[in-house]
Amino acid sequence: MGTTTDIPEITSSFTEYAIFIVLLPMLAFPVILFLGRLFNGNETWVKSAKEGGLIALPIMVASFVLSLILIVEFIGSGTGSYYIGDWLNFGWIGADGMTIEEKVFGVGIYIDHVTVMLLFVASFLCMLINIFSIGYMNTDPVNDNRNHRFYAEFVLFCSGMLGMVLADSFLWLFIFWELMGLCSYLLIGFYYERPSAAYAAKKAFLTTRVGDVFLVIGLVMLWNMFGSLDYSVVFNPDNIALVDAGELQMALGMMFIGAVGKSAQFPLHVWLPDAMEGPTPVSALIHAATMVNAGLYLVARMFPFFGAPSMAGELVDLAFIIAAIGGITAVMAAAIAFVQDDLKKVLAYSTMSQLAYIFTGLGAALWLANTPGMEKYAIVAFGAALFHLFNHAMAKGMLFMASGSVIHEMHHAHHEVHHHDGHGEDHGDDHHDDHHDEFDAQSMSNMGGLASKMPITATAMLVGSASIMGLPLIGGFWSKEGIIANTWRVAREEPLFLFPAFCVLLGAAMTGFYMSRMWLKTFAGKPKTEVAEHVHENTPWIPIPLVTLTFVSLSSVILAGMMFTHWSSDSGYAFFSDKGLVDGLIYEFEHIFLNSDAFFFVLTYVVIFIGAIVGPGLAMALYGGALKEGEKAKGWMQPIINLSARVNEKRGFDNSAWADSGLSVALKERLYFDKWYDTAMLKLVAGFAVLSATFDRKVIDGTIKTIERSSQKISLSVRKLTTGSARDYIMMAALGVLVIYAMLEVML
Amino acid sequence: MIDPAWVSVLSALLFTIGLWGAFTRKNAIVVLMCLELILNAANLQFVAAAIQHGDATGWVFAIFAIAIAASEVAIGLAIFLAMYGQHESISLDDVNLLKH
Repeated sequence: MGTTTDIPEITSSFTEYAIFIVLLPMLAFPVILFLGRLFNGNETWVKSAKEGGLIALPIMVASFVLSLILIVEFIGSGTGSYYIGDWLNFGWIGADGMTIEEKVFGVGIYIDHVTVMLLFVASFLCMLINIFSIGYMNTDPVNDNRNHRFYAEFVLFCSGMLGMVLADSFLWLFIFWELMGLCSYLLIGFYYERPSAAYAAKKAFLTTRVGDVFLVIGLVMLWNMFGSLDYSVVFNPDNIALVDAGELQMALGMMFIGAVGKSAQFPLHVWLPDAMEGPTPVSALIHAATMVNAGLYLVARMFPFFGAPSMAGELVDLAFIIAAIGGITAVMAAAIAFVQDDLKKVLAYSTMSQLAYIFTGLGAALWLANTPGMEKYAIVAFGAALFHLFNHAMAKGMLFMASGSVIHEMHHAHHEVHHHDGHGEDHGDDHHDDHHDEFDAQSMSNMGGLASKMPITATAMLVGSASIMGLPLIGGFWSKEGIIANTWRVAREEPLFLFPAFCVLLGAAMTGFYMSRMWLKTFAGKPKTEVAEHVHENTPWIPIPLVTLTFVSLSSVILAGMMFTHWSSDSGYAFFSDKGLVDGLIYEFEHIFLNSDAFFFVLTYVVIFIGAIVGPGLAMALYGGALKEGEKAKGWMQPIINLSARVNEKRGFDNSAWADSGLSVALKERLYFDKWYDTAMLKLVAGFAVLSATFDRKVIDGTIKTIERSSQKISLSVRKLTTGSARDYIMMAALGVLVIYAMLEVML
Repeated sequence: MIDPAWVSVLSALLFTIGLWGAFTRKNAIVVLMCLELILNAANLQFVAAAIQHGDATGWVFAIFAIAIAASEVAIGLAIFLAMYGQHESISLDDVNLLKH
C-alpha cells in the first residue's frame, strides 16, 4: 500500500453532519415502506402524508440543505484543493503480523469540485422531483395504495446517488452505483403488471450489468496496482508513478465500459428508451438528471490519472476512445430522436445525445490533460464538460417533468372527453400511459396547440429546449460551446479527434432540429385531436419545480459569469476566479463572441448558426403552425409560434420522400440495435445455454444417475441374502469367521 | 492322565455338533442348547490348556464364560417367552422380522 496524499481534513462543525446527506434518505426507506404497509388505504395516510410523499419531501429538503451547507463551506475554504472528512477507518493486520494497515476500507467523504457540482445537481433535483412526484403520482388513480412503494424506492435511490457522489473510494462508489442500479430496476418496473414495463426493467438491469462486470474487472485491476481503491491513495502522483501505464490504461478502459453502460452510450444504449416505461418522475430523476450522470462522474473521477506527470502521453488512446464513443452516440441518438413520435422517447434519445456531448468533452479534456504542453487547456475543457452536465441535468430534469405534466393533463382531458361523449366505461385501471388504452397520451401526433392551454409547462419546455439546443446566452449554450471548441482544439493537434469534433458539430444542428420539432409538434399548430383541445393545467405541486428550473436554466448566464466553465478540481485555478461577477461576465462574453483566435471566432458563429438557426428553421418549416384562431399564447411564446407559422407557409416543403425512405424506417426501428442484440443473444447466449444445459443433463446428471442406478442394482442383488432367518445369519457369521481365518492363514 | 489331545478332539466334536445343531434345528430352545454346547466346547479347551500349562488363566476364563453363558441363557429364554407371546410359537421359521 502506497503513501497517502496529505489531504487536509475539514474540522468545522457542519461537515460532521455531512454523512446524514446520505443516511437520512437511506433511513427513510424502511420507514416509508413499513408505514405504507401499515396504513395502506388509510385516509389520513393518503390525504395528509400523500402516501409517503410528505415523509420523503422533508428528508430530501434536509439532504439538500445539508448539501448546500457543505458546498458553501467548501467554497468558503477557497483554495480549490481536496478535502476529506473521515469517520470510520477499519484496519487489518499487515502481512508481517505487526503493523496495522489502516484505511483499507474506510468510510469517509471526499469533496472536490466534481463532487460539489454533482452533489448540488443530485440533491437539488431529488428535492424538486419529489415535489413533482407528489403532484404527478398522487393524482393518478392507477397509483393508489402503492405510492409508498414509489416513495420508498425514490429515497433509496436518492441516498444511492448522493452516496456515490460523496464516496471517498472507488469501492464505495461501486456499492452505491449498484444500489442505484437496483432502484432503477425497481422503479422502471413500478407498473410491473404491464409486461412491457417488466421487460424494460429487466433489459435496463441486464444491459447495465454488462458494463458493471467490466467496471468490477477494472476496479480489481486498480486494486492490484495500488493495493487500495481510496481516492487518497490512487490519486497520489507518487503512487501513480510506480504503475505501469499500459496496465492502468486497461483498468481505466474497463471502468469506462461500466460508465458506458450506466450512461447509456453506444453500444450499451439500448436500455434507456425502454426505461421510459417507468413513471415520468422516475424518467426525470434517474434517466435524465442523476443516475445517467454516474458514468460521467466516474470518467471525470479519472482526471487525476490523466493529469499525473508520469502518465504524460501514455493514456491518449483511452481519451480518444472516450471522445469517439461520445461522438458516435451524439449523432446516432440525435438521428433516432428525429423520427420518434413518443414525447418521452424524444427526450430519452436527447438525453443519450447530450450525455454523449459530455463524454466527448471529457475525452477532449482527458486528452489535453495527458498531453504535455496542453495541460492548461484541460481545466477549461473539463470545466465545460462538467458545466454541460449541470445544465443538461437541470434542463432535462425540467423537460421530463414538463413532458410528465403534458402527459398527465392529456390523460385527464382524455378522461373528461370520454365522459362527455358518453363512453362511460371506467378507464380508472388502465388510466395511465399504457398501451392497452387505444389512446396514446404520450404520442405527439395527438397533441398540438397546447401553448395557450399550458403556459407554465410550455414555457418550461421552451426554456429547457433552448438550453439543450444551446440558444445563445441560455443554459447549455455556454457549456456546449466550450465542449465543441475544446474538441476542435484537440482536433487541431491530433487529426484522430476530427471524427468526434465533426460529430459534435453535426450533433448541434441535429439537436436544434429535434428539440424544436418536439416543441412545435406539442405546443404549436392546431390541436390534432379533440383531447388536446380539452387540456387544462391545474394539477397542484407540478408547477413548482417547473418554474424553479426555468429560472435556473435562464440564470445560467450568471453561473457562466462566475466562471463555471472553468470549474475544475485543480488547485492552480481559483474557484471563482479572482474576477468579480461583472468582470467575469465580460470576460466570458469576450471569450465566446470575440475570441482573438480566428478559428474559434468562426467556430462560435458556425455553432450558433447551425444549432440555433438551421436546425430550428428546418423544424419550423416542417412542423410550424399558428394556434387555433382566437387563442393566444403568453407574450414570450406567441412570436415564436407566429414565426414558425410564417416559416412553415413560406418555406414549408414536403418531406414525405424522406419520411418513407429506408433511413427513416431504420431510425424508427432504432437502427435495428435491439434486433441485432436480440439475435446475437439468441444465437450466442442461447446456443451456449443449450450447450451447457446438454452438458449438465448428459454428463453431470448422467454420471450421478449411473452411480445411483448401479448402486441400486447392487443393493437389489445383495438384498436377496437377507432372508430374515436367524439360522442363515449364524451360518453367514460362521462362514465369515472361516473366511477371515483362511485369509489370515494365507497371509501370515 | 488323559492325553490333552483327546480333550481337544472332544472339544472340537462338541463344537461341531453345536454348530450343526444351531444351523439346522428349528426349535429355538434346541438352538440355544446348541449354543451352550459351543460355549462349553470352548470351556473344555480352556480347562485342558490350563491343566497342561499349569496356568490359572484358563480356569478364570472358563468361569467367566460360564457366568456369561448363564446370563445369556436367561436373556435368550426371556426373548423366547416374549416371542411365544407374540407368535404362539418358538419355531425360528416363524420369526423373520429382520427381513422386512
